Parts: sequence; structure tokens; C-alpha cells
Amino acid sequence: METIFWILSAITVLGALFAIMLRNLVHCVLSLILFFLGIAGHYFLLRADFLGAVQILIYVGAVAVLMLFAIMLTRHVTGDEGPREVLGGKWWAGMGTAIIIAGLLWAIIRKDQLAQILPAGGAQTSMVEIGKAMVTDWVVPFEAMAVLLTAALIGAVVIALEEVIRRR
Amino acid sequence: MNIPLGDYLMLSAFLFAIGLCGALSRKNAIIVLIGIEIMFNAAILNLIVFWHYKYFAVPTAYMFAIFAISIAAAESAVGLALVIAIYRQYKSVDVDEFTSLKG
Repeated sequence: METIFWILSAITVLGALFAIMLRNLVHCVLSLILFFLGIAGHYFLLRADFLGAVQILIYVGAVAVLMLFAIMLTRHVTGDEGPREVLGGKWWAGMGTAIIIAGLLWAIIRKDQLAQILPAGGAQTSMVEIGKAMVTDWVVPFEAMAVLLTAALIGAVVIALEEVIRRR
Repeated sequence: MNIPLGDYLMLSAFLFAIGLCGALSRKNAIIVLIGIEIMFNAAILNLIVFWHYKYFAVPTAYMFAIFAISIAAAESAVGLALVIAIYRQYKSVDVDEFTSLKG
């Protein structure tokens, strides 16, 4: 189990690093897919099976493909940024912030007693319970989520089609 | 499984820092969105880790994670639509060039 955890962690961290460091945008999205798959593997390892399946369906299946389409629509060729500078004007500020936050969190987690605990075990939340909870206790957030997703869908279409509507 | 909680927390802290670095220091708007997605995933992983280690029998954290994933998906759809709309306006996706709101 520990070996699987470390392999998955290496895949996840390398995927995330390459996703923000590579020059070619398409390669960035491909390593982002690797990162999403690593996270899904972590969910399976933590016995959150449904969430792992959701992660693969939504992130690998939908979000990554959406990003590839956005790259194809905004770049004329393969998404290569060419010789131009890839980092923004104040890139050192971003990297410094990230390093400081990583160091702070590392120090806090190392000091905390909570970090030593092991899984409690016991009965797992079953898929049946999750389904029942979704339509009883959580029915209002569930419906609100449906409204939000509809609004986001319509909003995304309207924003992306703005030019066509104005031309008519 | 005998992995202490701290290892998982450390993993998601590093993933969050990587995402933050990408969102703050890259020029391309799509990479900024990728960095935000990485931060989202690190936070949701944290939620599920605490569910697994302490509240294994209660579905609350699970529900939170499912709703957070849905919100992240909606956010990335709207974000990419905005990137496409901005590209039509400026013919570029460099965040340094979007300066019309600058005071």
C-alpha cells in the first residue's frame, strides 16, 4: 500500500509540475491529464470509489478536452508558444509566494499532532448511503447545483457566441 | 494502509503550491486556469483524506467533494469561454496584455 501511495504521489506531483512548466500548451494539458489520473488513483486508494470514477469522467473526460478545444480555438497551429517569453512580468513574485506557502504548510504539518494519526477504519460509507443522502438531507444543495450548472452552461454559450449575436 | 495523515496533507500542500505558482507566474490565460484546477484538486483531495481518516462513516465530506467538483467544472467551462471571448477582442491570451481595467 505504501509503495502504491508513493508511486501515485510521484505521478501526481510530476504531472502537476509539467502541467505548469512545459512550453507547449498541448503538452501541458496532456500532463494535466496525468495529474488528474493520479488524483483519481489516490481516491481509489482512499476507498472513495465513486469519487474516483467522477474524477475520471469529469476531469479527464470533460475539463481536459474542453481545455484542448480552447487551445485549438485560440492558437492557429499546435499551441506552441514559440520563442516568446512564457513567464509573466512578475513571475518571481508568484514563485516566491508558492515557495513561502509550501514551506509554511510543511512546517505546520510537521509540528502538528494530527499528522501522526492513522486511518480509523470501521464501516465505510456505502454507495447506497451516499445516494440516499443526496436525495434526502442534501436535496436542496443538489437542486441548487442543477440550477448552477444550467446557468453556467447558458452563460458559457452566451459569452463564447457574443460576436455572432452582435453581428446580426 | 499505514500511511500517516501528514503524508497526504504534505502532498496536497505541495500540489497547492505548484498550482499557485502556475496561476501567478505564467503568462498564458489557459495555464492560469490549469493552475487553478490543480489548486482545486489539492483542496478536494484534502477533504477526502480527512473523510477517510476521521469520519469514514458519515457521507458529509463526500457530498462536499462532489459539489466542489461540479462547481470546479462549471468554473472551468465559464473561464474557458471567457478566454475565447477575450481572444476575439485582443487576438492574444497573454494575461499581461489585458490592461483595459487598469487604473
